[in-house]
Amino acid sequence: MSATTVKTTPKVVDGGIQLKDIRKSFGALEVLKGVSLDIAPQEVVCIIGPSGSGKSTLLKCINLLQPPSSGSIRVNGVDLTAAKVDINGARSTVGMVFQHFNLFPHLTILGNVMVGLRTVKKISKAKAQSVAMMQLERLGVDDLSDKRPADCSGGQQQRVAIARALAMDPKVMLFDEVTSSLDPELVKGVLNAMKGLADSGITMVVVTHEIAFAREVADRVVFMDDGQIVEVGPARDMLAAPKTERLREFLSQVL
Amino acid sequence: MDAFFHTFFDWSEIWGILPTLLTEGMRNTLLISLGAVVFGVVVGLVLAMMLLSNTWILKLPARIYVDVFRGLPAILTISLVGLGFPAAHIRPFGTSPFGYAILAVGLISAAYSAEIFRAGIQSVNDGQMQAGRSLGMTYMQTMAKIIVPQGIRNVLPAFTNQFIVDIKASALVYLLGLSLGERELYFIAYQQQAVSYNSSALVASGLCYLMMTVPLTYVVNVWDKRLRDGKPQAKLQRVKRARIVEAAK
Repeated sequence: MSATTVKTTPKVVDGGIQLKDIRKSFGALEVLKGVSLDIAPQEVVCIIGPSGSGKSTLLKCINLLQPPSSGSIRVNGVDLTAAKVDINGARSTVGMVFQHFNLFPHLTILGNVMVGLRTVKKISKAKAQSVAMMQLERLGVDDLSDKRPADCSGGQQQRVAIARALAMDPKVMLFDEVTSSLDPELVKGVLNAMKGLADSGITMVVVTHEIAFAREVADRVVFMDDGQIVEVGPARDMLAAPKTERLREFLSQVL
Repeated sequence: MDAFFHTFFDWSEIWGILPTLLTEGMRNTLLISLGAVVFGVVVGLVLAMMLLSNTWILKLPARIYVDVFRGLPAILTISLVGLGFPAAHIRPFGTSPFGYAILAVGLISAAYSAEIFRAGIQSVNDGQMQAGRSLGMTYMQTMAKIIVPQGIRNVLPAFTNQFIVDIKASALVYLLGLSLGERELYFIAYQQQAVSYNSSALVASGLCYLMMTVPLTYVVNVWDKRLRDGKPQAKLQRVKRARIVEAAK
């Protein structure tokens, strides 16, 4: 394991993720019951499963938005569960996109993408502006830069949210059901943007209900149920021929 | 009936005192209440953050502060600070009661502002904190750049209301015995009333208060309405988004 890390700014070595025996409880309710998963650099992994299976919680464990109750997490070679890790520095190398966009409503679209660059990376206003515009352009929403989130459609907002995460130059991107609250006609644009990202060689972990997207874009699919991983495998094979009864049942309900 | 009008609406009394009320009184009332509100904003924000923290070392002192200053009669706090401090040789503002008056009203205002800000900060969606943290911003950075600006916006009506309360509470500092030039609206009218045994000066000072407070209540209403309805074009989007969320369920 090549874990050459600097304390303040974690040097990104790979973009890989290693989860070991992750458990998470909310009070008496155990949501994650020992989840282990290795994700290779540049791999695209889709996590599917019924609601309440713990997929979103697992995703939020990866950048410690939900610190696990026990278990260890390594991202980019940094052990995030170690006592003295610089969690903010580590987080800035892991981008996240949310189901409800979570854009900052009091800032313009440009301001949304710039705020992380300015506060975390401390780069100059002019430089932040050009980085932000570049990312907005990449996602095809640069013409909205002066607008407020409330004046944009859901699909546009979600693409801005992706641009906001990408602007921090992450090695890993986490997607939490990012198309679930979109109008059907807006879903495709967001999925296409994600497909483009997958081709660019960034590590992606995608919690999704879009089975077709998983089949087409993912290297591997993880099926979760009841806080555990039930089945993992190459996307096409696994979705075409599920080994477990539970996955077969789940697929028959969503397809 | 004549006695009634003579007592409350003696025009020569009103015209006689009005220049003093408008120059000296209005200025000092505004100075005291603005000073108190600025103090209240700064201390109130700090208290709100303490109230929201997870450690009791921060939470408990803030809770006690808020409970004490909201629980005491304003006139008692003003007496304790304005009469008590100088007597106890705590004299940051020297011997003039003016500074103590601002401090006393400000201490009370801070307690109420703290609760207003706390409610405002709590009204901001959890997802905003998560989004900020996911970018690598610290808790304090996310608070300062993302949460607090939205939280304050949400409670601007309540906050403007607090300013109105502070303007009215500033009348109570008369008991500190402000000297000539430092008197606020009520004290000027009160002294005049004592001299002439006629309440018209009080009526005149009341009009001065209404000139400040009534427009402010309308500001509150406009702000409140805008927060609820949003700008016309933003409203359309919100309706559309609500429909989307509904459809996704």
